[in-house]
Amino acid sequence: MNFAYSEDQEQLRQLARKILEDYCSNEQLREFDQGVRFHEGLWKELAAAGLLGIEIDEEYGGMAFDFESLCLLIEEVGRTVAPLPVIPALVLAAGAVHAFGSAELKAELLPGVASGEILLSAGLAQSNAYSLRNTPTLTARLEENDWVVDGQQSFVPFAEQASSILVVAQTSDGPALLMLPSPGSAHSGLQAQAQTATTGENQSLLTCTGLRVAKHYCLAHGLGAEQALQTLQNRALAATVAQMLGVCEVMLRMTASYTSEREQFGVKIATFQAVGQRAADCFIDVECLRLIAQRAVFAVQSCDPAEAEEACKIAKIWAADVGHRVSHAAQHLHGGMGVDRDYPLWRYCLWAKQLELQYGSGAPYTQQLGSDIAAQFKAQVRQ
Amino acid sequence: MDIALSPAQQALQQKVRDYLAELFTPELTAELAAAGAEEGGGPEFRKALRKLGEDGFISMSWPKELGGQEASAVDQYIFTEEIVRTGFPYPFLTTEACGPVMAEYASDTVREKVVKGILAGEVVVAIGYSEPSAGTDLGALKTRAERDGDDWIINGQKIWTSLADYSDYIWLAARTDPDAPKHKGITMFVVPTDIDGFSMSPIWTLGSVRTNATYYEDIRLPDEWRVGEVNKGWKLITGQLNRERLSLVTHGHAEELYLQTARWAAETAANEGGMVIDLPWVQHNLAKVKVGLDALKLLCWKQAWAMDMGTLDMADASVAKVYGTEFFLENYRLLMEIVGQTALLRSGSAGEALLGKLEHRYRTGSILTFGGGTNEVQREIIAGAGLWMPRGRL
Repeated sequence: MNFAYSEDQEQLRQLARKILEDYCSNEQLREFDQGVRFHEGLWKELAAAGLLGIEIDEEYGGMAFDFESLCLLIEEVGRTVAPLPVIPALVLAAGAVHAFGSAELKAELLPGVASGEILLSAGLAQSNAYSLRNTPTLTARLEENDWVVDGQQSFVPFAEQASSILVVAQTSDGPALLMLPSPGSAHSGLQAQAQTATTGENQSLLTCTGLRVAKHYCLAHGLGAEQALQTLQNRALAATVAQMLGVCEVMLRMTASYTSEREQFGVKIATFQAVGQRAADCFIDVECLRLIAQRAVFAVQSCDPAEAEEACKIAKIWAADVGHRVSHAAQHLHGGMGVDRDYPLWRYCLWAKQLELQYGSGAPYTQQLGSDIAAQFKAQVRQ
Repeated sequence: MDIALSPAQQALQQKVRDYLAELFTPELTAELAAAGAEEGGGPEFRKALRKLGEDGFISMSWPKELGGQEASAVDQYIFTEEIVRTGFPYPFLTTEACGPVMAEYASDTVREKVVKGILAGEVVVAIGYSEPSAGTDLGALKTRAERDGDDWIINGQKIWTSLADYSDYIWLAARTDPDAPKHKGITMFVVPTDIDGFSMSPIWTLGSVRTNATYYEDIRLPDEWRVGEVNKGWKLITGQLNRERLSLVTHGHAEELYLQTARWAAETAANEGGMVIDLPWVQHNLAKVKVGLDALKLLCWKQAWAMDMGTLDMADASVAKVYGTEFFLENYRLLMEIVGQTALLRSGSAGEALLGKLEHRYRTGSILTFGGGTNEVQREIIAGAGLWMPRGRL
């Protein structure tokens, strides 16, 4: 049993925090409140520090650390609400190429990811589904040496800026994980329509019409893709929860310091019991979220995917509840300041909502967990 | 990070589990199932406690110089959690709170008679802190101890003196300097329950658990029964809180109820057809319990681990207390809903389910949120120590 990060991990966290804080003051973030919410300069800066290749093997220019270390970067991105697509780019797309891609594809994409020259994106969530393991809305069929892709895929962050996009498509024998080209390139059959999420993050709606994708851009197919999706869902959930932890931690601290300064009726409002008790409840929530997030990340890294799946669902259920509660308590205890765009809290609240629903929210995972529990106990009783 | 029990810790867990399965003879099980004996005190309970003492479990967490084995807090938690799971009324306050303090500060007489007895599983001590007008505000206590030659004369009344009905001693906080600021005039004593001037009357609680009002009338107690310095008792009261808290909130009993209820639901046919566990809302309740339970387990593990590392934060123990106790109540409710109206049947009823455990837990559970430091005060501690918010008027 050990609840501490290694010294290397602590250093990595400090490095990430330093760079992110340097670029993400309230003033600096204002520039990204309109238009494309992607800070390319900061992305390059993280690349220069090696932080985009945390999980990537050394032979592709990475640091060959682990998923837990990557999640420290993500937690820091949560703390600073940095305009960066860390989860789609690093956890999903680069992670999938790293784990399931051919040596050729890895050599083609990963060095660029680590150096910041190639931005990857991913769209795995279905607009009519509540987790990542559902029937895809895209379809693909093999024609000669190409996959021909049709249909729509929503929620693709920064599709226009990405060089390559991880998607899942339904085929005649199960799902296939494919890396699509950029809609910005000269490919025919791929269109991106603009969509903006509540945080201001650009999340395109892609339409594929007979889009041809060369066979080596397929990472996994059939049963292999189903297993890969289990791993990817676990990674997506654990990383989202880590980001939520960073977001909530800052909202909580911001609330504690604001109420310790703000005076009404001649006293600091933090001295009102109603305020102190509500903040204490948020503290308890954040401590629970921290442990449940750390356990999920640990499980993704150290347990088999089926065992990790339960830990990740439980973590996402917690994150959804805690994000909602802490966000609204923070806004409420700030009063008008909580919604004033000159004060930094509002971006955190929007991110709490985005992370709450992203890749599936609390209610559907509670239902899935309940049904998994029922299956476990029914099997036990049958024995 | 490594958020799991190590192989050695797993082995310890298994060892304790096997040991406790053997400790629970049919006689002990029957005695504890009888009304009024759930809290211990019967001959089979005494026998089992002596065995735990002989086999070194009571001294497990104690410092080596006090005759203990200095087990890590994580190992101690593993033991605590397993024994709580069995429902054995282990006297944690005796073994974890006042025992080690007495061993460190008491006279040779007390060490010889009381401490040795505690380690041997022969002595149980009841806590004499609360008074009718000194609860959460313990420093307001009025029970007096006045010096008379080599003795002390004790007069006063305590309330909620749980286990006093079968305890051998009372660990008593008394005021020795009425003029000092309230926390600075308190001294600790060990009062034998067979001494002249000691009496009690029972208080029967909602949970069918007996507690007591205890009375101290002109008790003449030799000075060697005083523990620690005169007027320095407050430090002894608060000094052991950490270890004690490890046993206040554990996930063991809540997990056991969850496992038993889920199994019951998988074995019991639902009126609608299928099994109870097939009902969507039953699955929902089980999932809610599992989600809450996992957080509790992690909080407890982390707390024990942090204690071993020496990094336990003041707010941590309060977080576990508030979260754990409020979760317990929610847990009982969600599980009782699954068992339905049958969950209301008391133990011994013809149609009972799970031996009436949920009904019993519901009735004994209401003390949790205010016992051991009321949750509002814990939240004040969290706001102050965890969030550095200025404290208001209590």
